[in-house]
Amino acid sequence: MVFSIAYHFLRDRSLAEEIAQDVFLQLYRSLDSLETEAHVTFWLRRVTSNRCVDYVRKRRRRPEVALEETPELRSFDAPADPFMSRKLQALLQSLPEKPRLVMILRYQEDLMPEEIARILDMPVRTVKSHLHRSLTMLREKMERIL
Amino acid sequence: MTNEPMDDLERQLSEALRRKEPPEGFEDRLWGRLPRRRAGFLAGLSSRFQSFVLTPRLRWTAALAMAVVVLSAIEWRHEARERAAGQAAKAQLELALRITSEKLQKIQERVNAGNRDQ
Repeated sequence: MVFSIAYHFLRDRSLAEEIAQDVFLQLYRSLDSLETEAHVTFWLRRVTSNRCVDYVRKRRRRPEVALEETPELRSFDAPADPFMSRKLQALLQSLPEKPRLVMILRYQEDLMPEEIARILDMPVRTVKSHLHRSLTMLREKMERIL
Repeated sequence: MTNEPMDDLERQLSEALRRKEPPEGFEDRLWGRLPRRRAGFLAGLSSRFQSFVLTPRLRWTAALAMAVVVLSAIEWRHEARERAAGQAAKAQLELALRITSEKLQKIQERVNAGNRDQ
């Protein structure tokens, strides 16, 4: 879960591992304050999300690209098509940090907006807004190629 | 949106964002970092212990304890010498008394012999 959130957010395995290891080391130091498994899971998601956003904001290695500037999709294959998955992952990278995290937590972790709102410490309506706008933009991209 | 069944795009997103396993050796590398931290923690403890032992207060305490041990040893040796001297004096006194007793007996014997001659 931890590595996967970082990987889908950063699209860099070594950076994702670095962040994941730091998160687990921080967990090791914080275990005394975590009482239940659910609390640990919530804590891991929150700390991983925060570290990902902090990392991108500090390093700014990769400038953000507007969704409209990303390459057009040339085909819309079956849902399990790896090529289609890579295209969608590339499109997700064009999203700003918070909406990207919202999408990752929604579709990787299968969380509801209320849970995402607690993890990212933002209003539920903001989470829903991010989801709605991100899905609309992705859908528009898809419709252009159909 | 979130309470409704997923459409094709959302299913495709779930597929694209399915969980990825960490690279091989991830756990080993993680555990490799933890013992170093434990070692560092122990080294820190050792350092803190050494600095605690080497505080002026503890140095004075150790010096005082050593002085007590040395003074006790001197006192014990002094008492031993006095005991030995007392026993020597007692032996000399006993010898002197025995000699005196023998002389007194000889004198008494001479006196008795003189009375018989008269």
